[in-house]
Amino acid sequence: MNDDLRYVYAVCRPPAAPLHADLTGVGGAPPRQLTHEGLVAVVSPVPERDFGREPLRAHLEDLRWLAETARAHQNVVAALATVTCPLPLRLATVFHDDSGVRAMLEDESERLHRILDRIDGHVEWGVKVWLGAASADGDGSGDSGSAAAASSRAPRSGRDYLRRRRAGNAAREEALARADVFARRLHGDLSRYAADARLHPVQSGPLTDAGSGRNILNSAYLVPRTWSEEFLELIGRTEGTRPGLRVEVTGPWAAYSFTDDPDAREEPHGGEGAARQDAGGTP
Amino acid sequence: MKMDLEPDTVERDLVALVLTVVELLRELMERQAVRRFESGELTEDQEERVGMTLMLLEDRMTRLRERYGLRPEDLNLDLGPLGPLLPRD
Repeated sequence: MNDDLRYVYAVCRPPAAPLHADLTGVGGAPPRQLTHEGLVAVVSPVPERDFGREPLRAHLEDLRWLAETARAHQNVVAALATVTCPLPLRLATVFHDDSGVRAMLEDESERLHRILDRIDGHVEWGVKVWLGAASADGDGSGDSGSAAAASSRAPRSGRDYLRRRRAGNAAREEALARADVFARRLHGDLSRYAADARLHPVQSGPLTDAGSGRNILNSAYLVPRTWSEEFLELIGRTEGTRPGLRVEVTGPWAAYSFTDDPDAREEPHGGEGAARQDAGGTP
Repeated sequence: MKMDLEPDTVERDLVALVLTVVELLRELMERQAVRRFESGELTEDQEERVGMTLMLLEDRMTRLRERYGLRPEDLNLDLGPLGPLLPRD
């Protein structure tokens, strides 16, 4: 037991209520709270043979191990989020022992307090906009509609084939442009209900489900708990106004996307914030 | 696309790799052809020949894919941070 390292899930202010007694963390150990000068680190012991420098590096390339660890990490953070507004640490943040954790709380105290101040009373909502693969080919009316109808028959000639390709390309581009406009507007509207917003890179690659279409917007919003209902209603109202697009909402999460230091970021005051808003749904 | 070189899948995997390269070239040619078609620089006769060639190529690709049980999305390579080799849609 004494050889164990300390896995830190999150930092928070002393929670109002204790954690569930049967909550388990990474490796099945129950997390406990380690308090140091008004800050709480939620930690559990993990074996050195899994979380030492070398074994951890090997584990981080193992997708199954990663998924399992991430689930346990998220489980603890989610439980914590029901009683306070935790600042989640990176997956697999490990310290040598309790005093290492205390030293981190001590050294980082100012920064941690600034971030906790910002996320206090807030939750994170994730919003993704997907352009369905089917709608990209022929959504709506006019040229694209007739192109879609025509493509069910075989092309009559070589020129007909080229003509259809051209119409198909134009329809795809148009659908993409419309999706982009929708995503920008949605992001603008949602940002007004959020204390802060982050545009994440759109999802692609082997982990994206091929059937879900093309990711147009992938963003996170730091929303005051009391505004969550209005925030969700705003998304609900767009339903039916955008055929071919799917809006996916996840949350409420702990503020995973807002763990950077607010002071460090707001250095060039206003300028950067405005640029971020204007970036809209551009991939 | 994953390349597991198991004896019973090696042929299919190789076919998938070859067809991916062919499909990339076919799509590049098609894009070029559609651009020239749009600009009107081809004679009707040329348009007809180019279009017919591309149409037949696509048809053969589909048949080859079906023969090896490959879906259109199987013909792609993930280039990591550069994204997929072929556009996905």
